[in-house]
Amino acid sequence: MRLTHWLNALRSPVGAVSATLLSAFIVLALIAPIIWGDAAEQTDPSALSQGPSAEHFLGTDGLGRDIWMRVLVATRTSLGLAVLATLIAVSIGTLLGVLPAVLGRRAGRLAVALVNLAVAFPALLLALFFAVIFGIGAKGAVLAIGIAGAPSFARLVQTNVAAVAGRDFVSAARVAGVGRVRLVFRHLLPNVGEPLVVNATVMAGGALLAFAGLSFLGIGVQPPTYDWGRLLGEGLSRIYLNPAAALAPGVAVVLAGLAFTLLGETIAQVVGLRTTARRGHLGVLPTLRRREPDEPTTTQPGSNGASVYDGVSTQHAAASTDGSTVRPDDAVLVARDLTVSFPGPRGWTHPVDGVDLTVHRGETVGIVGESGSGKSLTALAVARLAPEEAVVRASTLNFLGTSLPDRSDAELRRLLGTSMAMVFQDPMTSFNPSMRVGRQLAEVTRTHEGHSRRAAWDRAVDRLRKVRVPAAERRAAQYPHEFSGGMRQRAMIGMGLMSSPDLVIADEPTTALDVTVQRQVLRLLREVQRESGAAVVLISHDIAVVSQMCERIVVMYSGRVVEELPVDRLAEAAHPYTRALLGSVPDLATDVDRPLATIPGRPPDPGARPPGCAFAPRCAFADDTCTAPPVLEDVAPRQRAACWHPQSGPVAPSPLAGAEPAVDVPTRTGGQP
Amino acid sequence: MTAPPVAVTRRGGLPAGVRNPWLVFLGRRFARLVVSLAVLVTLAFLMIHLVPGDPVRAALGLTAPAELVEARRESLGLNDPLIVQYGNYLSGLFRGDLGVSMTSGVPVVDTIGQRLPASASLGLSAFVVIMVSAIPLGLAMAVLTRGGRRRGVELGFTSTSAMIAAIPEFLLAVGLIFVFAVTLGWLPVAGRGGLDSYLLPVLALSAGPTLVIARIVRVEALAVFGQDFVRTARAKRLPPWRVYFRHAFPNALTSTLTIGGLLLGSMIVGTVLVENVFAWPGMGMTIVQSILAKDYPLVQAAVLVYGLAVLLVNLMVDLLLAVVDPRSTIREA
Amino acid sequence: MKELEFRDVTVRFGTGHGTVTAVDGVDLTVPAGSVVGLVGESGSGKSTLAKAAVGLVPESGGEILLDGRPVRRTRGRRTLQMVFQDPYSSLNPRMSVGDSIAEAMPRGRGRKERRAEVARLLELVELDASRAGSLPGGLSGGQRQRVALARALAAEPEVILADEITSALDVSVQGAVLNLVRDLQRRLGLSILFISHNLSVVRYVSDLIAVMYLGRIVEFGPAAEVLSAPRHPYTQTLLDAAPRVGTSLDDAVPADRSELDGEPPSPHDPPSGCAFHRRCPYGPLVLPERTICAEDDPMTGADTRPHRAACHFAADLEVSIP
Repeated sequence: MRLTHWLNALRSPVGAVSATLLSAFIVLALIAPIIWGDAAEQTDPSALSQGPSAEHFLGTDGLGRDIWMRVLVATRTSLGLAVLATLIAVSIGTLLGVLPAVLGRRAGRLAVALVNLAVAFPALLLALFFAVIFGIGAKGAVLAIGIAGAPSFARLVQTNVAAVAGRDFVSAARVAGVGRVRLVFRHLLPNVGEPLVVNATVMAGGALLAFAGLSFLGIGVQPPTYDWGRLLGEGLSRIYLNPAAALAPGVAVVLAGLAFTLLGETIAQVVGLRTTARRGHLGVLPTLRRREPDEPTTTQPGSNGASVYDGVSTQHAAASTDGSTVRPDDAVLVARDLTVSFPGPRGWTHPVDGVDLTVHRGETVGIVGESGSGKSLTALAVARLAPEEAVVRASTLNFLGTSLPDRSDAELRRLLGTSMAMVFQDPMTSFNPSMRVGRQLAEVTRTHEGHSRRAAWDRAVDRLRKVRVPAAERRAAQYPHEFSGGMRQRAMIGMGLMSSPDLVIADEPTTALDVTVQRQVLRLLREVQRESGAAVVLISHDIAVVSQMCERIVVMYSGRVVEELPVDRLAEAAHPYTRALLGSVPDLATDVDRPLATIPGRPPDPGARPPGCAFAPRCAFADDTCTAPPVLEDVAPRQRAACWHPQSGPVAPSPLAGAEPAVDVPTRTGGQP
Repeated sequence: MTAPPVAVTRRGGLPAGVRNPWLVFLGRRFARLVVSLAVLVTLAFLMIHLVPGDPVRAALGLTAPAELVEARRESLGLNDPLIVQYGNYLSGLFRGDLGVSMTSGVPVVDTIGQRLPASASLGLSAFVVIMVSAIPLGLAMAVLTRGGRRRGVELGFTSTSAMIAAIPEFLLAVGLIFVFAVTLGWLPVAGRGGLDSYLLPVLALSAGPTLVIARIVRVEALAVFGQDFVRTARAKRLPPWRVYFRHAFPNALTSTLTIGGLLLGSMIVGTVLVENVFAWPGMGMTIVQSILAKDYPLVQAAVLVYGLAVLLVNLMVDLLLAVVDPRSTIREA
Repeated sequence: MKELEFRDVTVRFGTGHGTVTAVDGVDLTVPAGSVVGLVGESGSGKSTLAKAAVGLVPESGGEILLDGRPVRRTRGRRTLQMVFQDPYSSLNPRMSVGDSIAEAMPRGRGRKERRAEVARLLELVELDASRAGSLPGGLSGGQRQRVALARALAAEPEVILADEITSALDVSVQGAVLNLVRDLQRRLGLSILFISHNLSVVRYVSDLIAVMYLGRIVEFGPAAEVLSAPRHPYTQTLLDAAPRVGTSLDDAVPADRSELDGEPPSPHDPPSGCAFHRRCPYGPLVLPERTICAEDDPMTGADTRPHRAACHFAADLEVSIP
């Protein structure tokens, strides 16, 4: 596994270039002084300071020595000194960096302060300073560059270690009585090793350049020893006579520096510090399961069974959604066969896979599902807010009668900006931290309705008052961080009320809030819905929250809708997943003397969804039929489930207040066409 | 813990308990500057004492007569107890007396006064060029390559900028001289003269930092594009320019400034190398010559000047950060 | 198993003006072999209390006792063990599951003995013993939380502190972890301080329930009694607010009053008197004559009231419903 990672990295352009360059330099460093060492010292009094010639490839220096050979021979000194200095920097830096973790609070703080002070001064200045102390020459320069590089490496170690030290496994180790030294070597350093290796590599490149600089200034390597920097300094004075004498060592320095930097990049890629978004062999997106909503089609050649079921589902969807229950013009939002696909390393994945969702005027619809069920992505997709790399497709996606996929963002801006309001999960991060709350509200009407600055501000204050933010006038002029979590979420709802929305999409609006605040926010949402007549889509992982607020509940599992039912039918949920969800989450009426119902296994990855019913591997009722995809169909009036073995009778152990625990008899009623 | 109350009382009669975060921040930042300065001055003073053996003997050479060495030691005050020397050094600093150059016999202050303007003008020009070009370039690249768009542009920018940024400023200077001065003959090879003499050194100094900062700006801006509040701004259906300029970019500035500040610090010291390439008559030449000549008073003063410049840049960056991002200022205080 | 007792424990963070009292004079006992559920909102100090017990946070006052003796903070065997909230951060990604568990074991055991013990513990938490060699990266959240439980048990602790151990898990796996906790507790007779913001979860596993509000225990009693006849209005509010299938948003007792929809107070600036009086449905906002709530600290005399409730009107809570 690891080996193949490295091999892959070597095949990437960056990896290949760095590997080639570096091995060339290492070979040169090993053999060049042996082969050309003497020749490079040979003075040629007949050819002093000459330009390139057949005899001397890059010309000669002031003493008539061959510059090309000198550049080659200097590889060993240049690389060796750089690596040596890096070792010094890394050792001192690591030591200084782990000190805070080893020493404990007070002494640690001193070490941090020391490093902070030193880091403020550029390494070159420190190197010059130490060069004075250690004396001019190779030894002094190695020490100077090594010590000068230590503070920045120490800072790196400190920040990385501090980030890891805050994690729970370190706390757990401390609680388990693990000593400080073992803590550092067993828990902290192994988890920061990768960024340190990467940076040490990049640092070696930097040390190489620093050496070249010092030698160029005459402070580094002293004659008769020479490195690239020394050659460069000598060559520069004769740049008119022989530019190659200055350029060749310069090119060598740059190439070697580049080799180290690219090596760092390659290591970073392999160990996963940088993600390379490669759109390799993705292939073509599979076509949508249904193209025309009212027309049975076979779109999946090669799987006859599936396409037949598709046809059934299409007819069925047409009948129950468009035909009997509601008139189409009553719908605020209609999404048919909504699919959201992401490019991945192993082809496309579809976290949302053929979802139908219809929201009627003034209706409250709840979407329930676990993390990874695709519920939030569904909401983002219908709101045209899905991440940029996602591909959203649907056979129908209408909002207030306008087909969204056919229009550009600019055309839809006013429609969506005034008629669709969004409330997101985390009120901490969903406001711009550097902008006053009032202005963030005001810019909605300023943009879409052309209100004056003053009018928009007044409207914002009014809306904040509407969502019961106390002292709205003063609060509007504050920044988001001055609000509490609940107040921020109210302000977010207020933002949606700047115009008069027909649809409010609330994506886990209370998950980050305490229960008492949660109830307030939900009540506010309901009040808004009653007063404005807007439809609300409430997305939550908590079926109880949704049941308190919504008329209709849509249950999603692994990117698909598995059941859709009115809230008063929850007690008779048909899909085993819905029933398991109701039974496995304890509430205040759960029988504490019985074990909770459990669902074995875990939800599948969208990239590795089992064929047919995605819930089948975890389902007690699954059999061979379940390898074929079930379709959403009526199991009771207004209740639809995508299941081959829909259950009937009350859910047990009953979470419903007042309901007696009933024995659930697994009944295998119909469902197969 | 000690600094904030000092700042509060100094700024005149605020009632106890009232802590203006700005005053606390300024007080704390000022205290840090003072500590850094103290460390800088002390290290510069100690430098000569940290040199192994007799620094004067080392400077004058093994052949110098013993009387001369002794006289020089006496004139430098090296025979006094360390603490007395330190006191003298400090009082000299406050009087603006940095000693006399060992090689030229000219007061060090005069040398610096003569050389500093050349370096400062070079550094400031490079600074302006970096600021004017790096941020727009980074922002433009961020917008162009957001959400994995235009892979080609992204690859071109990241690889080109990485290549050029990997070339140290003095090598870039050599290359520029070769192309524009030696081959094309458009610009002077070395020396400080008219405006044209500035072009190559400023370009050499600013190219690397510009590209590095542009890369940082791009990465930071892309990171901000992925944050929740940018999604909120998109959910408000604001026009793209407003999402970028009003919501995303101000929040990308903080880390850019932090890293940019460190880069500017090293750019200042980078002038040492570039000045030597262009034989620029500034502080860079002075410090190198004085190190080679073991002219300790001059080295001390030059280290002080560079250190001070770096500290001032850091201070400026921190103040700017506080203005741009008052939140973190308050949090820190 | 032994009895864990918090005696007047206080934890403060910061110095000078910025001081926050996260835990404020808490008296709480976890009797040997029983589960005490500690419930409260975020910022109420419940996690800090647990961290103080295991020494991750220094207490500023009071004592933490194990069977009457101060908890030892020495190396070697740790008598208190903690299980953390986030299973993705509580296991060292670079250490095999078996090593993580073995590390917590008391010193002085042979290699073979350790390996056998790891296998036994893994089976105890219903994981395959062959998992010992795998890294946490391949485990699901529920499996990681089982490993974390096994690690805590490896130390042969007297008391386990479980800090929100199910709140980071998917709803479909929470139930299994809760079942396991209950099962282990009954089989091994563990003493557990079970911390959660979720009253339903706490109710399911606990014998006793303590309710924490702004750093203080405001009500403490047998689980069934606290839930069926709460003596502190805050407990009542939590019960009302807990979402439940088949209930409505309006089921609050007394009925919905928007003036009570206040925010939880900041620990930087705790209210005078009863910390809950600005949100209390039985307090001065609803019954203006109850000025005592804003003036007198209800902690004094709490020991004499039912459920040790920190409420001046604990005795007649039901009677006073307007």
